[in-house]
Amino acid sequence: MDVAAGRNISFPRYAEYNCAFRYIVEQALGARFVMPPALTKRTMDLGTKYSPDFVCTPFKTLLGSMIESLEAGADTLLMTHGLCRLGYYGELLEQILRDLGYHFDFINLSEYDMSRKKEYIRIVRRINPKVNPARFLAEFMEGLKMVEYLDEITAEYYQNCGFDPTGRACRGAYQDFLTAMYTARNRSEVEAGYHAAKRALGSIPLDKPRRPLRVGIAGEFYTAMDAFSNLELEQKLADMRVEVHRWMNVTNQFLHHGGQKNMHVKIQDLCTYEMGPTATANIWWARECAERGFDGLIHVKSAGCTPEIDVMPVLQSISRDCKIPVLYLTYDAQTSDVGLMTRLEAFYDMIEMRKRVL
Amino acid sequence: MDKHHPTIGLPRAMLYYRYRTLWQTFFRELEIPVVTSPLTDRSILEQGTALAIDEACLSLKIYLGHVAALVRKCDYILIPRISSFGHHRNMCTRFEALPDLTQTVFRDSGQKFLTYDVDELSKHSEEAAFLDLGRSVGCPPKAVKRAYQRAKKAELAQHKAEVQAQEALFRQEGLKILIAAHSYVAEDPCMGKPVTDYLRGAGVLPLRADLVDREGALKRSRDLSPTCKWEINREILGGIVQHRADVDGMILLSAFPCGPDAMVNELILRRVKGIPILNLVLDSQSGAAGVETRLESFIDIIRFKEGLL
Repeated sequence: MDVAAGRNISFPRYAEYNCAFRYIVEQALGARFVMPPALTKRTMDLGTKYSPDFVCTPFKTLLGSMIESLEAGADTLLMTHGLCRLGYYGELLEQILRDLGYHFDFINLSEYDMSRKKEYIRIVRRINPKVNPARFLAEFMEGLKMVEYLDEITAEYYQNCGFDPTGRACRGAYQDFLTAMYTARNRSEVEAGYHAAKRALGSIPLDKPRRPLRVGIAGEFYTAMDAFSNLELEQKLADMRVEVHRWMNVTNQFLHHGGQKNMHVKIQDLCTYEMGPTATANIWWARECAERGFDGLIHVKSAGCTPEIDVMPVLQSISRDCKIPVLYLTYDAQTSDVGLMTRLEAFYDMIEMRKRVL
Repeated sequence: MDKHHPTIGLPRAMLYYRYRTLWQTFFRELEIPVVTSPLTDRSILEQGTALAIDEACLSLKIYLGHVAALVRKCDYILIPRISSFGHHRNMCTRFEALPDLTQTVFRDSGQKFLTYDVDELSKHSEEAAFLDLGRSVGCPPKAVKRAYQRAKKAELAQHKAEVQAQEALFRQEGLKILIAAHSYVAEDPCMGKPVTDYLRGAGVLPLRADLVDREGALKRSRDLSPTCKWEINREILGGIVQHRADVDGMILLSAFPCGPDAMVNELILRRVKGIPILNLVLDSQSGAAGVETRLESFIDIIRFKEGLL
């Protein structure tokens, strides 16, 4: 296929969603996608070194990831807009990278008014002027389908993998699924990868008690989902034989509940207004976890995340009213694995003891 | 309708410094008495710090301290929700959360709160918000509309007078320093006031970047930062563009850890060249001595650079 003006596009690492970004860039936009290397300590060191101090941690992660994308040969970087500080990430990231001396084309969605549909066409045409609209739409929808599959399989994986007696089968099936998504080149490969994963995960006999410990995860949109950023919180919990339930993902937040139309009705007694980009969903989910009888809730955010700091008093109210233990985790570039493990073990001991007593 | 009007409490923090004329005139027109919390002092700051989440910004801690000072001293405390004035004209998300956040913090106090919601992106204008506000305190819509119009006029006139008064100062002789700060940082007795007082004492004229014609500033801010999305930061950016040639130095004054300022000030440091800039972040620990040392050395640098030392 024709590759648009030789563009090598990259978007920083974001959980496992880069497989869908790759699919959309390559199949829908007809450009090359440069996969940013997996996040490592080096990524964080690079990001922290060149970022302002009090910026929220995902900024540092994204800056580090963008530098590694440029090192991997990207010539075009894409950055999203957003409702909180995220909406200003683009301009500052670009300035820092330019000051460092990198040459690249920067497509910053904050420069466009994303409430207007015409702007989307402008952006697509900027990336590839020769894009075929029909093909673009079909492949773009398939990319979104991949996001749905990814979120569905990921949720299923973290709810069950802690009870896999072999300790390997679930993990193997999930890894195979990710590999399939990262390499899929067309619709049938996406579908095949998804169905294979569904079958594989469904066929593993689980050693799950009748009433397992169930923990909900709520929090900030990047850190709660990105396993590197939250130090594999979900895997750590699952390995303690806990069912992990995270509502927050791209599918639930954007694809299925666009604008969260009626969720606020159920939390009217707790807040009148939308308190921040993900506030309504997180408050609703916290209450939901309590009402579903979960044993605990973990609130995950990066240091400096203003909207999630403001949600915390409301979660404290829910915790008191509904008697659900809540663990508040704040991640910054220095948060250590050992420190996290200690807090998780203490939290686990508490909810486990509570389940036996209550 | 009940003849006895309730008393409204105004916390002297955050957007009070932007909207005091609007609020005071509005309630005076409706013959509703208001009480304002006292000037920020150590005890307000400490009380607010105890009520806030540790990681919250200093401005929020001070705000909660002011709300605590008003609890049971009035019937309602006014806490607006101000979200946006249009595309790329947002407020920090903290101002979206403020009414619900504060009511949650004070939910056991029995205190009642009043709020109004300005969110132009959801087609809810300031005028519509004030009509709702007037209705919720039981005033007839016609009177409310008139009160709002007069209050808005008074607010604009007040701002214009302040801008004109400051414009005259730019023509004065002597060392001039531009303070880039939110009004609630610049004017607060525990945050910006000690800084401006010290500067005056040292024979330097402090001038405010945000005291400029707002519409012009919004346009000018684009020269410095095309995608800046925060209304108040854009006014400050516009003020910097307009006045950076008229001053000898600039102080970026922010409250720890202000979300918008952390990013916008970094951008200013990277893009505004050829003028001495001091990036001063205030936290609740700030002893006067530490800040004064930094200000003193900054003034020395400017004087040295200009051959005055």
